[in-house]
Amino acid sequence: MSTPEAGTRSGNSLVSDTLVNFTRWNRKLLRNPTSFLLEIVVAVFSLLLFSAVFGEVGAFALQQAGYVGIDYITFLLPAVLMQATMGSSFNSGIGLVKDLDSGMFEKTVVTPMSATAVFSGKAVSELLRIVVQLVIILGLATVLGASIDLGISGALGIIAVCLLVGLLFMSIANIVGLLARDEEALNAASMLFMFPLLFLSPAFIPLSSDIELLATFNPVTYGVDAIRALIVGEDVMTVLTVTRFGGLLNTLVPAVGILLAMNFVFGSLAVWLLGRASSTEGQ
Amino acid sequence: MSDDSLHNTEHERTTTETDKEDSSRAVAVKDLWLTYADGTEAVQGLSLAIERGEFFGFLGPNGAGKTTTIKILATLLEPTRGSVTVNGFDVAKERTAVRGSIGYMPQETSVDEELTARENLRFACGAYGVPRGDRDDRIAELLELIDLADVADTPAAQFSGGMKKRLDAATALVHDPQLVFLDEPTTGLDPKARNRLWDYFQRINDAGTTIFLTTQYLEEADALCDRLSVIRDGSIVADGSPKELKRRVGGETLKLEIESGSDVVDRACKISRQSDLFEADATVETTGETVRITTRRAREQGSKLLVKLQESDITVTGFDIEETTLDDVFLAIADESVAELEGGHA
Repeated sequence: MSTPEAGTRSGNSLVSDTLVNFTRWNRKLLRNPTSFLLEIVVAVFSLLLFSAVFGEVGAFALQQAGYVGIDYITFLLPAVLMQATMGSSFNSGIGLVKDLDSGMFEKTVVTPMSATAVFSGKAVSELLRIVVQLVIILGLATVLGASIDLGISGALGIIAVCLLVGLLFMSIANIVGLLARDEEALNAASMLFMFPLLFLSPAFIPLSSDIELLATFNPVTYGVDAIRALIVGEDVMTVLTVTRFGGLLNTLVPAVGILLAMNFVFGSLAVWLLGRASSTEGQ
Repeated sequence: MSDDSLHNTEHERTTTETDKEDSSRAVAVKDLWLTYADGTEAVQGLSLAIERGEFFGFLGPNGAGKTTTIKILATLLEPTRGSVTVNGFDVAKERTAVRGSIGYMPQETSVDEELTARENLRFACGAYGVPRGDRDDRIAELLELIDLADVADTPAAQFSGGMKKRLDAATALVHDPQLVFLDEPTTGLDPKARNRLWDYFQRINDAGTTIFLTTQYLEEADALCDRLSVIRDGSIVADGSPKELKRRVGGETLKLEIESGSDVVDRACKISRQSDLFEADATVETTGETVRITTRRAREQGSKLLVKLQESDITVTGFDIEETTLDDVFLAIADESVAELEGGHA
């Protein structure tokens, strides 16, 4: 063993520290890919199930709502993409709770790595996980008959919107995780968020006026509308009427703006809570 | 350089004389206080100085403030009041520098169970900025040292408690820290696993690493530590080498088994008391046919006492010297005979 005075540290940088944490979380995912794969299966299964069960009702509802030339399966695609994204995001909170439980959180805090690097490395790994899932789901959905009018650029746009929603729910999952500090509670919370929010949005059928007010405050509404606009290439915004940008931008610009604002609010809260946990974990 | 700045430097030099001394120490704590949000005063005016290279033991009953103190030293808790430097860095102002210069093994085993032993070590190497080129060698060396080389690529979830503890210890040492904090590192381990860890800690200490150990096992402190501090209710109540502490509590016990009736035992007792063999504060007690003499001179005077007893026709059937253990020290402290201990120290 070399002498302790020699100083074998090469030092830490934001980039290298982020990479170290990114690698750790990727390794953990590869070691235990069950939930990753299950989330894809559930999404594709939902797509098949909902289009089989609601297919005819859905087609009728679409006709009533004035959607022309869209298959129900294509209409449904944003719903399963949102479902997969939200489900995947909650893993961020579960990873955090496990680290708090196992002492790895404290152990990481006590290293010379910056907290920013620790949490962004983890977040980037979790966003990458979502991207891979979305690519697979989009591929399978296309095989099953869904179509994206805007092609590859549309698909890239869809992934970008999903990441905004993913980041938002990652913040929420981390906030719940830090407050509850319990994996079971977090799992329950993910269900509590996911299904009401999906149903209180235009995800499965065109939005009914009964829930329009609730849908206005639901981030999933903006995710679904933005994705749908990118799929059909038109303005499909349900809860707001914006006309100044033209075409599908009338949906995309306000939806993305609102998602960014929500990300700012919940992201700041999550970062603040994480910072507080890092500096007072000993208590 | 202007005259002014020269002057200032000289001025600082004189006022920071003691700080300089502290900066060469592994740990320097002065009048440390920590009050938790709920009002609990976990640490109350604690002062400590640990030299580089020491194997320091921090003892005390549950809730005495051991873990709180170690967490302050490891930058996990901010002191309410007082000055704390670790390896010359201020824990409040130079957190990152402190973190890079220490290893910390918390009380609860902290390994990533989804990762293999090697991956856990690789993460630690990255976290502590061990140069890339050195990582593989360093990991191989540590795996060898903790006897996990043959299971290096097995996920830690499959390890026994002892194996996880050893891995945990190794991850705190990837960067050859100058100082390592070990918070009850062997709690819950079987004797074999414990001995292995002891051996390992001894080896890193021999290589020059300062060790700050808290433990509830007094034999552990006795076997490993150069120096001990005992903490109670948030402040230090005794300090010294294990030997000194034991001596202060009362040396050794000479145990004699006397043959036949109680009058003989009484006579033996009388002889032991009246002879000038033992110091004035030595105590003589009897239980049945056993005479126990607590004295600092049991070894020197034991055989002389035997001769005296024989001269008085008293047959001794059993003879034993019991050494004071740290348990006695601990009990004495719990017994509030603190004043006596501190008196001995002064």
